Amino acid sequence: MALFGRDRDISLFRSINTELLRDVITQQCAYYKFRLDETKVNIYGESSGVKYYNDPVLMNCLINRSDQEFTTSDFGVDHNQNVEFYFYKPFLEEEKLVCEPGDIIQYYEDYFEVHDIVENQLFVGKDPSFPYNVNPWNPGLEDFGQTTSIICKTFYVPADKVQITLERG
Amino acid sequence: MANIPIWTGTSTFTAGQTPFGFYDLDFDFSTDADKVATFVTRRLGYPLMDVELQDINIYAAFEEAVTTYGNELYAYKVRENYLYTEGNSTSTTANNKLISPHMGATVRISQQYGEEAGVGGNVKFHTGSIDLTTGQQYYNLDDFASQENVDDYDLEIKRVYYESPPAVTRFFDPYAGSGTGMINMLDQFGFGQFSPAINFLLMPVSFDMQRIQAIEFNDQVRKSQYSFNIVGNELQIFPIPDGSVSKLFLTYIKKSDRNNPYISPDGEGVITDVSKVPYENPQYALINSIGRKWIFDYCLAICKEMLGYIRGKYQVVPIPNADTTLNHSDLITAATAEKTALIERLRAYFEETSREKLLERKNLEADAINKDLGYSPYVIYIG
Repeated sequence: MALFGRDRDISLFRSINTELLRDVITQQCAYYKFRLDETKVNIYGESSGVKYYNDPVLMNCLINRSDQEFTTSDFGVDHNQNVEFYFYKPFLEEEKLVCEPGDIIQYYEDYFEVHDIVENQLFVGKDPSFPYNVNPWNPGLEDFGQTTSIICKTFYVPADKVQITLERG
Repeated sequence: MANIPIWTGTSTFTAGQTPFGFYDLDFDFSTDADKVATFVTRRLGYPLMDVELQDINIYAAFEEAVTTYGNELYAYKVRENYLYTEGNSTSTTANNKLISPHMGATVRISQQYGEEAGVGGNVKFHTGSIDLTTGQQYYNLDDFASQENVDDYDLEIKRVYYESPPAVTRFFDPYAGSGTGMINMLDQFGFGQFSPAINFLLMPVSFDMQRIQAIEFNDQVRKSQYSFNIVGNELQIFPIPDGSVSKLFLTYIKKSDRNNPYISPDGEGVITDVSKVPYENPQYALINSIGRKWIFDYCLAICKEMLGYIRGKYQVVPIPNADTTLNHSDLITAATAEKTALIERLRAYFEETSREKLLERKNLEADAINKDLGYSPYVIYIG
């Protein structure tokens, strides 16, 4: 059994993160979960027609914005911006939200589509989802460690392209 | 996954929530416990900031603060009065008792001087005798020790009764007499006033003393005076026994008796050290507002320290894609300094009320009043 990083300590971290993200920093975004099962796809696996998303979930997170880029081509001026959203994983678990590429995040008036997911911040190097309980020398590892963050790397998507409208389910 | 609650903003104290339960049934304590919890958490930033403590942490700190206060108070009282409590029974609690100084301990610790002078103390004086042999001047004290069943290294001779008869017994010795002593003798027997031929002469005591001294000087100068000398384990006596005396009496002590520091009374029921002075935890309800304010401040310092250790178990706390460092070092530094300052302040406060300080102050006051009164004009009485 491990000694450090027990769920009692993780509970303290959750309190501190909750206070920090929800009461002190308070950066927020709206998360639209892509509903793959509702969306029709063509033979290439691409969506054909409309895409469906779950109702938005308001999430507190840390946001790392890169500068807007305006590139000029034969088709005119294009607008690009990459934004990284750092979610505290227990918040996502509270909302039963699993981040995947294709999800849309609304940040202020702009929409950003998730293209990469990074889950690599393990406290004391352990993910309690993998306790390896068959190992008799270190039982109980499901109570140790934490996956702290889910990082969603996104790119700007024009609002007219997303065209998110409210649909009656 | 465990979800350990932290301070929610309210608490309701019930008996059994402190580690030791010393004061749980004290109404004032149980009433103040929740107020103290509010005071402490607000001083630590709640509700603007979370305080990662639970109510039981604060109750534990509160109990510790009261106990520390009592500990400092009674430790001071023990120091102040130990001379008067040592050797007494432990069965009666010293809480809420006035302690009056007495001479018992002073007499006890000064008995050693009388002991050496042979007029008191705890060492028993033994007596024994040596059979004198005519013409033998040296006697082995080891033999005397074995005869007395004492280890030879344990024997210390305190007195040798090898002395000439008191001079007063030869007061009327014709050799030393002058004739006037006859009058005194008849007077002593009550015959003086019945004899018409005797003159009454009042003589001062100094006359008798000089006469006795004359007899003793005579023996010392003109005779071999009774004396002795002890070197190592040998006793030498003067004059050499001539058979007129058959036994030599000695008074001695056992060194082990003198070296034994343990005296009666003793046992579990006697105050033999400061840990047995029967002070119990203080009664919270009887602590005045000055003491309670100190307790609240000390409780806050303990909570601050506790919070510092909680926030500092891990030097950095992970947040999404980064780490953050909390204020644990500030909390611990501040709490340590505050605790030290509070303890020092309390000790200084107690010291100011010691018997020594109070008497000093009273003396200064008396001097000052006397001086002040001296500025008033003296009344001139005209008779």
